[in-house]
Amino acid sequence: MASTKVVIDPITRIEGHLRIEVQADAGKISGSWASATMFRGIETIMTGRDPRDAWAYTQRICGVCTTVHAIASVRAVEDALDITVPRNANIIRNLVHGMQYIQDHVIHFYHLHALDWVDVVSALSADPDKAAALARSISPWPNNDAAHFRAVQVRLKKFVGTGQLGIFANGYWGHPAYKLPPEANLMAVSHYLEALDWQRDVIRLHTVFGGKNPHPNFLVGGMASAINLDETATINAVRLADVQGMIRKAKDFVEQVYWPDLVAIAGFYKEWGAIGGGVPNFLACGEFPESDPRDLKSLYFPPGIILDKDLTTVHEYDHKKVAEYITSSWYTYDGGDDKGLHPWEGETNPKYTGPTPPYEYLQGEKKYTWMKAPRYEGKAMQVGPLARMLVGYASGHADIKELVGAALGKLQVGPAALFSTLGRTAARGIETVLVARKMEDWFGQLIANVKAGDTATFNKDKWDPSRWPKKSQGYGYLDAPRGALGHWVQIEDGKIARYQCVVPSTWNCSPRDAQGQMGAYEAALVDNHPLARPDQPLEILRTIHSFDPCLACGVH
Amino acid sequence: MFIRSAEPWLDGSTLGEHLEESGVSRRSFLEFCAEMAVILGLGSAAAPSVAQALEAQQRPTVIWLEMQECTGCVESVLRTEAPTIGDLVLDVISLDYSETLMAAAGHAAEKARADSMAKHKGSYLLVVTGSVPTKEDGIYCTMAGKTIRQHLEEAAAGAAAIIAVGACAHWGSVQAARPNPTGAVGVRDIIKNKPILNIAGCPPIGDTVTATVVHYLTFGRLPASDHEGRPLFAYGNRIHDQCSRRAHFDAGQYVENFDDENARRGWCLYQVGCKGPATYSPCPITQWNQRTNWPIGAGHPCIGCTEPYFWDTMAPFYQRLPEVGGFGVEGRIDSIGATLAVGAAAGVVAHAGMTVMHQIRRRRSTNQLPESGSPSSGETNDG
Amino acid sequence: MTPERAKQLDRLPWFEVRLPRARGDFTWIYLWGAPLRVSHWVAALSLVALFATGIFISQPLFVTNGEASSHFLMGRFRFAHFLAATFLIMAGIIRVYWLFAGNKFERWSALVPFTRRNLRAMFQFLKSYATFNSRLQPHFVGHNPLAQVAYTSIYVGTTIMICTGFAMYGQSNPGGIFYTAFAWVPALLGGLQNVRLVHHLISWLYPIFFSIHVYLVIRSDYLERGGVVSSMFTGGTYVSSRDTFEDCDVGGQPSVPWRNGAHE
Ligand code: HEM
Ligand code: HEM
Ligand code: NFV
Ligand code: SF4
Ligand code: SF4
Ligand code: F3S
Ligand SMILES: [Mg+2]
Repeated sequence: MASTKVVIDPITRIEGHLRIEVQADAGKISGSWASATMFRGIETIMTGRDPRDAWAYTQRICGVCTTVHAIASVRAVEDALDITVPRNANIIRNLVHGMQYIQDHVIHFYHLHALDWVDVVSALSADPDKAAALARSISPWPNNDAAHFRAVQVRLKKFVGTGQLGIFANGYWGHPAYKLPPEANLMAVSHYLEALDWQRDVIRLHTVFGGKNPHPNFLVGGMASAINLDETATINAVRLADVQGMIRKAKDFVEQVYWPDLVAIAGFYKEWGAIGGGVPNFLACGEFPESDPRDLKSLYFPPGIILDKDLTTVHEYDHKKVAEYITSSWYTYDGGDDKGLHPWEGETNPKYTGPTPPYEYLQGEKKYTWMKAPRYEGKAMQVGPLARMLVGYASGHADIKELVGAALGKLQVGPAALFSTLGRTAARGIETVLVARKMEDWFGQLIANVKAGDTATFNKDKWDPSRWPKKSQGYGYLDAPRGALGHWVQIEDGKIARYQCVVPSTWNCSPRDAQGQMGAYEAALVDNHPLARPDQPLEILRTIHSFDPCLACGVH
Repeated sequence: MFIRSAEPWLDGSTLGEHLEESGVSRRSFLEFCAEMAVILGLGSAAAPSVAQALEAQQRPTVIWLEMQECTGCVESVLRTEAPTIGDLVLDVISLDYSETLMAAAGHAAEKARADSMAKHKGSYLLVVTGSVPTKEDGIYCTMAGKTIRQHLEEAAAGAAAIIAVGACAHWGSVQAARPNPTGAVGVRDIIKNKPILNIAGCPPIGDTVTATVVHYLTFGRLPASDHEGRPLFAYGNRIHDQCSRRAHFDAGQYVENFDDENARRGWCLYQVGCKGPATYSPCPITQWNQRTNWPIGAGHPCIGCTEPYFWDTMAPFYQRLPEVGGFGVEGRIDSIGATLAVGAAAGVVAHAGMTVMHQIRRRRSTNQLPESGSPSSGETNDG
Repeated sequence: MTPERAKQLDRLPWFEVRLPRARGDFTWIYLWGAPLRVSHWVAALSLVALFATGIFISQPLFVTNGEASSHFLMGRFRFAHFLAATFLIMAGIIRVYWLFAGNKFERWSALVPFTRRNLRAMFQFLKSYATFNSRLQPHFVGHNPLAQVAYTSIYVGTTIMICTGFAMYGQSNPGGIFYTAFAWVPALLGGLQNVRLVHHLISWLYPIFFSIHVYLVIRSDYLERGGVVSSMFTGGTYVSSRDTFEDCDVGGQPSVPWRNGAHE
C-alpha cells in the first residue's frame, strides 16, 4: 500500500503552534517532520536592556512553564556578575520551581495528555460502584466513592446530551487504540475535573512569594519578598502556614491521585513501553541546588549525559559542548548555515524560506521550522523527566532508584521499557512524586533558617551597575519540567550585549541537523510507531504529548 | 458556588430551568450573582438584574483563538475562582475551540471551529490571546498552513464581539518590544469593524476575564471601557491610589534597597521603581489567585503590565523614570542637572569677577576713575 | 524734555502712579506695570518652592520612622507643590492678560526679539558677555533681546511644566476635570512615564536660570546705574535724556560706541 502523507496542524493540548507531518505505510510511520510555526525574536529583543530586567522579558517566553525562564535568567546574570544569593532566596526559588513541576506535570497528565488514553464517551457507560471499587483498590483518596463518581457521570451525561460538546467535540472517541474499561475512564474523567480545581489552589505558592501566577516576580540577587514574622505585609507565620498547607495538598494529590492513576492507566497500555523511544542519548543539566547553583554537588537531581541508552556510564555534562544548528531552520548564520554555534557566539537572524501560506506540505523543504537544532558534541539529545530519571538512576540516586524500581515492578516491565512513549510519561510521574516529597524538606530548611534568625532574602552588593565589570558573561542553567534549559548572557557597560536561550523543547522538537540527525519528536515517531487510521492520528498525539511540547518555549 | 452542580446545562433549557434541575438553591444562585455584580462594580444592588439576565441565557458559544503568545493568559484563566474554569466550560459557556484544552487536533480541530463559526455566525463571542505578526506577510505565525492573521480575520467576521485578553492581544506585549522583530500588533490594529474589549495585563487576572464574559451574558453588551478599551469595572483606578502601601508613601516611608529594614516593614516601593503611580489595574483590590497576594504585596515593584507597550515605556523596572539615551535619570541625568545648576552659579561668580577686573583695567588705561555720585551717560558708555 | 516726550509719558495706563517729570536731564521711565511686578514676584517665589518640593518628590531625602498614620511628610511636600503650582497659575493668568494689555515693554512683542536689528543687538550682547566688556552693549530700557529669549524660554518651559504637572495631578481622580482637561498630554508624550520624565527634566531649567538671571539683572544695574533691580519693585527707572536707547526714545543723541563704530 502506497505511503500516505499525514498532516496534523494544529497539534492541540500543548503549548504553542506545532505542526507534525508524517509518512504512513501499512499502519506504521516511516518518515516524520516536526515544524514550529511561530517565532517572536525575544533573544533579539533582549539586547541593550538592563540585565536586572531580563528575567521579566524572558519569563514571557512561556506562561505554562512560567518561572523557569525567569530563574534561568537571574541565575545567568548572577553568574556573569558573580553574585551569591542568600540561602533563603535559593530555597524559596526551589519551592517556587518545585511547585511549578508539580502543577505543570499534573495539568499535563490530566488536561493535556489524558484524553489520548482516556475515552470520555466510554465513561458514560461506566458503573459508578465498580469505578469506586477500582479507584479505592489503588488509592485512599476520599473522593473515590460511588456517589461522587455517579454525580460526575450524570453531569457528563447531561453535558453530552446538550449536543454542545465544547472542548470534547470531534475527539477520536471510540478509536480502537482506546483500551481502558469504562470504569477507569470514569475515574480519570472525575480526576480530570478535580485536578482543575486542585492546580488553582496549590499554585498560590507562587503568589505568596512572587505576587502572582502566571509570571510571579523574581529579583537578581535574591527574592523581593522580605521575611518578617512580626509584620502583616511580609512573609510571616500566616503566609508560611498557607504555604505549608499547599505543600501538603500538593503531595496528597500527587501520591493519592496522579501517581495511582498513572500506574493504573499505564497497566492497560504496556505495549507503549516498546513504542516511540527515539533518540537514544539523554541530557540532564541538574536541578534544585540546595546551596548555590554553582555547587553542582548540592543538586537534588544530578546533571549528566547518557549515550546510546547505556545506563552503565554517566558522562559529565559541560555546557561548552552545546552548539545550535540551523541547517533545517528558518535562520541564517553569518558564518554559514552548516556551522554549529555555542550560545555565547549564538545568532538569531530569522529568514523564512518556506512556501507562502496557504500551503499544504512542508516535508521536502530544506528548511521547515522556526526551531533551531541544539546538539551536544554533535549528537541529538533527549531532555526532560525521562532524561533526569535515567541520569539519576544510572548515577545511583537513592530516591530515584527506589521509585523507578517500584514503578517497573508494578508494571512488570524491565528498564528497557523506559526508552519509550510510556517511559516518558511514567518518568514524569515519578519525578513529580519525588519533588512533592522534597518540598517539605525545603520548607523545613526555610523555617529552620528563620528560627535561627537568618531572614535574609537579597544580596545587594552587586545591585548597583557601578559595581559591575565592564564586560562579563554568564550561564544560567535550570532543569525545567520539560527538560534542560540554558540561558547565556553577555553584559557590556551595564547592558545586555547578547542573550541566547536553548530550551527543553528546542532540544526535543529540533529538526534535522547538518548530519541529518532527527530531533527527539521526529525520531520517536519513526521508532516502531503505529498509526492505525491516518485520518484519526491518535497514536501520534500520544507520542508527541509524552514530550509535553512547549513551542513558545522552544522557539522564543 | 452555584455552578458546581451535577446537572449540566441542557440545550434549549434556560439557566433558570437548569438550576432547578440541578437542585441549586435560589439563595446560593443569588449569592453568586451578588458576587458577580460586585466584581463588575455594579454594587450588590444589581444582583437581581444579573440573576434575571443569567437565568434567561443559554450556553453561548465562545471561540478562543491563540496567536503569537506565551499562553500565560490562557493559564491565568485556568486559575479563575468564580466561576472556576471547569464550571465555566461545562456549565456557563460552550467553548467550541481552544487549542490548549480541546480533545480534537489537526483537521478535526479545524472542522470543529469551522462548524461552530458557521452555526453561530454573528452571535459567538471571540476571545483572542496573542498578537499578529505583520512583517514578511505574517509568516512568523501560521496554523494549518494559513497565517494567523487570516484565521483572525475569518473568526472575527462572524463574531458578535471580541475580547482581546492580555497585553499581546492589544499591544503585542513582549514580542512587540523594541525592535519588534516580527512587527507584532494587537487585534485592534487588524480588526476595525467589531467591538473589541481590552483585558489588559501580562497576564490579566483570570477573574477579570470571566467577569467580563458574565457581564456580556448579563447585559448583552461589553462593559464600559476607558480610552485604552479597558473595562472600567476593573481598570477604572490607579494602583497608586488603591495601594495597601500608600499610607507609607504619604508618610515618606520608602524601601531604599530590597530586603532592607524598610522592606521588612512593608514600606512603599516608590524608590525602587514602582510604576503604580502610572498604572491602572484591579490588582490592589481583587488581588491575585483567590486574593492570596499581589506583586506589590509580595515586595516587588509594579512593572505596569496593564499599560500600553509597558515593556518599553515602563522599563527600566527598578527605576522610577525612563532612561534618556541609555542613562538612568535618577542617577546620571540628575547629577548632570545639578552640575549645570551649580556650574551656572559658579560661572556667574567668575563672570562677575572678570567683569570687575575688566572695569578696573579699562579705567586704569583711560586713567579715569569713576567719580562717585550721579551717573552720567559718559560712564554708562565707557563703563 | 520735548513736548512729544511729555505727551508720550501722559499716554500711560490710567492706574499708573503719576510720574515725576524730568529731573535735571534725567527722565523717569515707567516700565513694569503693577500686574507684571506682582506676577513676577509671585511666579519667582512659587517657582523656587516648586523646584524645592519637586526635587523632594523625586528623591525623598529622608525617611520617617514609626506608624505611617502619624506622618504625612511626602503628603505635605506634595501639598506644598500643588499649592505653589496654584499661585504659579494665578501669576501666569495675570501675565498672559498683561501680554496684551501692558505697555510696549510688557507686551508679547517685547518677548520675541526677532527683528534683524534685535538679532544684531543680541549678538552684541553675547560678544560683550564673552569679552566682559559692557561698552559693547547696546542700550535697552526694557528687556534686552538676549534677556527676552531667556524669559520667553522660561515662559514656554513653565507652560510645559504646568501641562505635564496637571496631567499627573489629574490621575488621582480619573474622569475628573484635570484628568480630562489634560488627557491630551500623556497621549501626546506617549504615556504617563514620559509625562513624568519631561516634568522632571525641565525642572532643572529653573535653578540654572535663577542664578544667571539674578546675576545679569544686578550686573546691568551696577554697570548702567539704571536701577534695573529696583525697577521690578518700583516699576520704573531713571535714564539720562542725553542717552539713546534701542527700545525707547528719550530724546538723546546717538552715542553708543558700537553703533558709530568707535573702539577702545
Ligand atoms: C515649573 C515649576 C515646577 C517644577 C520645577 C516642578 C518640579 C517637579 C519635580 C522635580 C517633580 C518630581 C518628578 C519625578 O521625578 O517624579 C514634580 C512632580 C510633580 N509635579 Fe511638579 N513641578 C513644577 C510645576 C508643577 C505644576 C504647575 C504642577 C501642577 C499641579 C505640578 C505637579 C506635579 C505633580 C502632580 C508631580 C508628581 C507628584 C507625585 O506623583 O507624587 N508641578 N514636579
Ligand atoms: C526663579 C526666580 C525668578 C524668575 C523665574 C524670574 C523670572 C523673570 C521673568 C520671566 C522676567 C521677565 C518679565 C517679563 O517681561 O515678563 C523677569 C524680569 C526681571 N526679573 Fe526676574 N525672576 C526671578 C527672580 C528675580 C530676582 C530674585 C530678581 C531681583 C534680584 C529679579 C529681577 C528681575 C528684573 C530686574 C527683571 C527685569 C529685567 C529686564 O528688564 O530684563 N528676578 N524675571
Ligand atoms: N520547553 C519548555 Fe518550557 C518548560 N518546562 C521551558 O524552559 O514550557 Ni513552556
Ligand atoms: S500577554 Fe503576557 S502573559 Fe499573556 S500571552 Fe502575552 S506575554 Fe503571555
Ligand atoms: S508601592 Fe507603588 S503603588 Fe504603592 S504606594 Fe508606593 S508607589 Fe504607590
Ligand atoms: S505589574 Fe501588573 S500585575 Fe498588577 S501590580 Fe502591576 S499591574
Ligand atoms: Mg535560542
